[in-house]
Amino acid sequence: MSAPADRAADPSASDHPPVDHPPADHPPVDRAQYGLAAVLAVVGVWTVVDSAGLGPGFADQVVRPAAFGYVIGSGLVLLALLLAVATARGDRAEGEAGEDVDLSSGTDWRTLAGLAGVLVATVALIDWLGWAVVGALLFAGAATVLGNRHWVRNLLIGAVLSVASWYGFYVGLGIPIPAGVLDGVL
Amino acid sequence: MTVVVGWTADARGHAALQRGAQEARLHGEALLVVNATTGTSTVDDRFAGAADVTEVRTQLASLGVEAEVRQPVVRDVTEALLAVAEEVDASVLVIGIRHRSPVGKLIMGSTAQRILLDARCPVLAVKATDGR
Amino acid sequence: MDALLTGFELALTPQNLLYAVVGVLLGTAVGVLPGIGPAMTVALLLPVTYNVSPSAALIMFAGIYYGGMYGGSTTSILLNTPGESSSVITALEGNKMAKAGRAAQALATAAIGSFVAGTISTVLLVALAPTVAEWVVVLGAPSYFALMVLALIAVTSVLGSSKLRGFISLAVGLTIGLVGTATGQARLTFGNPLLADGIDIVVVAVAIFAVGEALWVAAHLRRRPLEVIPVGRPWMDRTDWGRSWKPWLRGTAYGFPFGALPAGGAEMPTFLSYITERRLAGKHRAEFGKGAIEGVAGPEAANNASAAGTLVPLLAIGLPTTATAAVILAAMQGYGLQPGPQLFEAEPELVWTLLASLFIANTLLLVINLPMAPLWAKLLRIPRPYLYAGILFFAVLGAYSVNFQWFDVALLGLFGALGFAMRRFGLPVLPLIVGVILGPRLEEQLGQALQLSRGDVSALWGEPVAVIVYLVIAALLLGPLVLRLIPGRQGPERLEDDIDALEEEVRS
Repeated sequence: MSAPADRAADPSASDHPPVDHPPADHPPVDRAQYGLAAVLAVVGVWTVVDSAGLGPGFADQVVRPAAFGYVIGSGLVLLALLLAVATARGDRAEGEAGEDVDLSSGTDWRTLAGLAGVLVATVALIDWLGWAVVGALLFAGAATVLGNRHWVRNLLIGAVLSVASWYGFYVGLGIPIPAGVLDGVL
Repeated sequence: MTVVVGWTADARGHAALQRGAQEARLHGEALLVVNATTGTSTVDDRFAGAADVTEVRTQLASLGVEAEVRQPVVRDVTEALLAVAEEVDASVLVIGIRHRSPVGKLIMGSTAQRILLDARCPVLAVKATDGR
Repeated sequence: MDALLTGFELALTPQNLLYAVVGVLLGTAVGVLPGIGPAMTVALLLPVTYNVSPSAALIMFAGIYYGGMYGGSTTSILLNTPGESSSVITALEGNKMAKAGRAAQALATAAIGSFVAGTISTVLLVALAPTVAEWVVVLGAPSYFALMVLALIAVTSVLGSSKLRGFISLAVGLTIGLVGTATGQARLTFGNPLLADGIDIVVVAVAIFAVGEALWVAAHLRRRPLEVIPVGRPWMDRTDWGRSWKPWLRGTAYGFPFGALPAGGAEMPTFLSYITERRLAGKHRAEFGKGAIEGVAGPEAANNASAAGTLVPLLAIGLPTTATAAVILAAMQGYGLQPGPQLFEAEPELVWTLLASLFIANTLLLVINLPMAPLWAKLLRIPRPYLYAGILFFAVLGAYSVNFQWFDVALLGLFGALGFAMRRFGLPVLPLIVGVILGPRLEEQLGQALQLSRGDVSALWGEPVAVIVYLVIAALLLGPLVLRLIPGRQGPERLEDDIDALEEEVRS
């Protein structure tokens, strides 16, 4: 589930957002919330449809496997409708605040896209290259995307972390993480 | 012409600031104090707080130096300092330096060295008096 | 009493003591570190701990839980950026004290108050939990079903500002809980055999708490550094002690019951403690808003007491009421332990070792926090690229170590995106996690209840306890509506507005 941009992304803001961002560029209606409502409705309908395809279970079973699906699925659809109504009436989402969070500037989509790319690459490579290699790339990639440009140092730290965690899991905890391409080396 | 000081809120930054103020007063030039940070950690000790900035401003005013304090949040502190020096056509760039072990230099890199090599204006490197 | 002494004996073995120390150190660190909370830490540690003994892991988790409360107060006092809702109130007076040069006293009253409140509350927990468990264990499936519905409704409707968002989050959680196999048939698996066993709670918890948070912070990173107020070793003089001890006790009295109730949380008691202290301050009343020590002592005690209080429903009934408690519950399920009243009979050693270790953790926390507060504040200098890259690193490691399949990492990313969206749309995280955990158990209890009655639905309210619980649920849902109709009264959902108003008032 990803949220479409609700604010016009200022291209310069994605790099270093200005400290004082005028709040005036908020549209009156939080349109991204319609997207959320739509996704909820789709999930709800799918849950009901999937439940309808389930058999009755055992002969003496009172609560059939489909029952919870019907209730939760229709609940989701109802909540999606309520959310859409609330949105139309001017309900706005308040993003979660935090120690490191600055909500006054817009969303930094560039960093987000970079991190998503790193995660997708991790998923694609992890079975082939193994944890020790992919973990190092993951750490270095994420740190670089997040704004630390010393990528050689990042790669070194990542390699130390991933090899150490591999041995820690393998030897210390007895969890045999596959070694991937480094099978036989580690 | 302007004297540009790379200021950090510590001893060597203080030393650089003192020397920069002297230079500015001596040559009757304006003083530009740059205190930049990358903002990568929640707290940056070298980034001056509001109280420090006010103190520096009053101190410089009492010396009779025309001074401006900038606190940009940038991607790279060294590059930002050099860019500012170029922008205002600095007569001299004053920085504070400290001793670094070879290993420390290898791992962390040396900001001072990069400034010395890359700056187009004269660079004045000052050491903190208490050896920090 | 004997049981508790045995618990102490087991908790003081070198190995368990080591886990307690690791727990409180980690807990304090993540409490101080921005962006990481105890719930995320416990979630990240879940896969690691499946291979150590359950008691050791639970001791560590308890240390992290208590430690997170201590660490959180340090940042709210020194930085004025409360990371968690429970320390918002502490920041009001605490940061004012720090700015007035009384940071050491603010930290001291917070730490000692937390210790006092934690110890008293743990005594209450030890006294109450077994009794509650004895009482709950005789209940039948209908009552148990009602209690679980209560827990779901409570975490959904009382916490947070918007009931609609709470219920959306709950429904999404319940849907995730549906995935898997129901009486031999694949349900919501999209025909994927990898989903036939359901979605591992480790993956969901790590994704929502760690990946979602890391992505959210990365997209809204505060660039300008914050000013941390320099502080020496925390200490208090006689006057401070005199002004602190009563707020500590009153804060404990507010915090514990609110934590123990299946819906309390820490916001309400800290808020109530603050306004009580302000009302009772007498000649110090004028100091409120400028850094009154009572305004730190009371809320901090309430905060820690409520953390201990949440362990009552967790251990005695098996109902989680906070995010951290929910993840600890998930851990217990992962060990094959049946959380709830049976736990006291089936695993007495484990329970009493855990309870004893709470006392130990609390004492350790006082020892490591009082002299070392300035040291902990140094953690704020960690570059955030490394911090958040590290979170992602351990999140992926945790998800991958469940089955060594890329599929789990992909799920992690998917639910991480969900976690991001939830933060973007202001959906509370707790109802989702509780929904994922309790959903399947809810279905099971309903099945049992109706099986015994052969499909007679009226059996659901056939037990007196069930009826009482349903009345409480009705009160929870309808109470705010009724209160709103009475002029001049405010329902609990107005709490956030109250806090905002209070902050405005104090700031002005």
